[in-house]
Amino acid sequence: MSFAIRIDLRIPLDRFELALAWETDARFLGLFGPSGAGKTTLLEALAGLRPAARGSIEVGGRVWLDSARGISLRPESRGVGYVPQDALLFPHLDVLGNLSIGRGRALASAGARLSPTRVLEVLELTGLEHRSVGALSGGERRRVALARALLSGPELLLLDEPLAGLDAPLRDRVITYLLRVREEFGLPAILVSHDVVETKLFASEVAVLSAGRMLARGSPEEVFLRPGMEGGPENVLRGSVRAVERGAAHVALDGGVEIVTPGQGLTPGAEVRIGIHAEDLMLAEESPARISAQNLVAARIRELREEAGRVLVVVEVGERSLPLAVAITPLARERLALAPGRAVVLVWKAHACRVWVARVSPPGRS
Amino acid sequence: MSPEIVAALLLSVRVALCATALVLVPGIYLGRLLARRSFFGKSVVETLVSLPLVLPPTALGYVLLRLLARDGPFGEGTLGFDPGILFTWKGAALASAVMALPLVARTARVAFEHVDPRLESLARTLGLSARRTFLRVTLPLARRGLLAAAVMGFSRALGEFGATILVAGNIPGRTQTLPLAIFQSIQVGRDDEANVLLGITVALAFAAVWVVEILMRGAPGER
Repeated sequence: MSFAIRIDLRIPLDRFELALAWETDARFLGLFGPSGAGKTTLLEALAGLRPAARGSIEVGGRVWLDSARGISLRPESRGVGYVPQDALLFPHLDVLGNLSIGRGRALASAGARLSPTRVLEVLELTGLEHRSVGALSGGERRRVALARALLSGPELLLLDEPLAGLDAPLRDRVITYLLRVREEFGLPAILVSHDVVETKLFASEVAVLSAGRMLARGSPEEVFLRPGMEGGPENVLRGSVRAVERGAAHVALDGGVEIVTPGQGLTPGAEVRIGIHAEDLMLAEESPARISAQNLVAARIRELREEAGRVLVVVEVGERSLPLAVAITPLARERLALAPGRAVVLVWKAHACRVWVARVSPPGRS
Repeated sequence: MSPEIVAALLLSVRVALCATALVLVPGIYLGRLLARRSFFGKSVVETLVSLPLVLPPTALGYVLLRLLARDGPFGEGTLGFDPGILFTWKGAALASAVMALPLVARTARVAFEHVDPRLESLARTLGLSARRTFLRVTLPLARRGLLAAAVMGFSRALGEFGATILVAGNIPGRTQTLPLAIFQSIQVGRDDEANVLLGITVALAFAAVWVVEILMRGAPGER
């Protein structure tokens, strides 16, 4: 299923003009940047809520905006599933009322027609249908907002910082729901975020926005390794659980490497994302013997860079040369005499891995 | 209570209810327009809407009288028939409606301003047309304030005197509302009757303002 988004927009704002051209075939896009960069404005323009926007928007072969030809679809005809930052549930409706408000379009449109039962199941909202909106917790509110968007027959999901303002444990739970939605329904989506991990977990292509301009775009693995990129080098890997034994899980990464993570809550076949801080990775000249760390992975140094008093080493692992960032001290660099092209061993504990389950078992097996 | 007082009370309520019904749709429309849209000449419209608040009611009554006269722009010459509104309870209702419009429009405007416009935008992105958004999101969210606007209009109509006496006259049993009855009782020196009428009027006004206070207190915090 090919799905293309072509955006060429200019929107005058108070402080600057947002000008952005973005053409991509990727289904899961990340829009990354600091607060005030114009991310939300761009989402609103896509949703048809910014009448001042000029230029063109084409989504999945349909023209939403072409100011040269005088075309501008109304918000209700564009087919976006907009999830605003603060959930913004309708206070006069209960959960079911909120979820069914977009049903009319879902039944009439060519957009995704998802089963309400399945959406409620995936987002674990079953049983909450008759709750009043005021009685929901922060995490529940976000899930209801997400379900409401999914059930409105959208062609493109617009997720505006769905994790902003949540505390760390809740963030991890909501991330899991986002990943489930991504894997289960596969709807094209744009995720706005200023969190590297969140963006890397969700997006297959990222645009970095600053003061209304696109600074960089590319795969999340590469974009965030560029010099001076805000947010820091956080590693996020994809893989599937091969086996679970004695508190540890063996996870096969996309690039043909197998690693060990904590096994709690994991079952064989689960699709997972693994986060590892650059500071938690160690480099060794040769494979150390008799060490408690479970992960010893052969790697090759791509580049070294000094940044903010530390050395950032970008190494490549596996057949697909998956880049990983390792942060070490300048002293360590000197002692090991590290240089580009050198073979090293990457060492880390299973418990340095944070694990998110994107799908419990692969399609066809559930 | 004498039959005249009962008649005046019933007529007042009928006139006020009809005036409220007449003024509600234009009042809500104007309130919505002023709360949400910006357009050229908006301040002129705002001023015009508020004008009946500050103009002497007799001035407006005179304008209505001229407009609705048999030889006026809404008389036999243009419509081909005499609408026959002058010096009937319908004339009283129309005069009261015009006088109530500013209060209804202004209260409705506040009610709409308390509705988060982002909720309306969001409803549009979920596939609701502008009209359906108004019916399913804006109206229900503004309902307390709009109800308050209606009660305000009703109470203003109940107290209307100056325009009514010019347009409808002061015919006991036919166009004599409570304020007109008070005026007449005082003129002919029937103080007892005036006191009873005063009591009824104060009770009605108190109840109406009380209801508005309760409604408005609940409106903004409703989340």
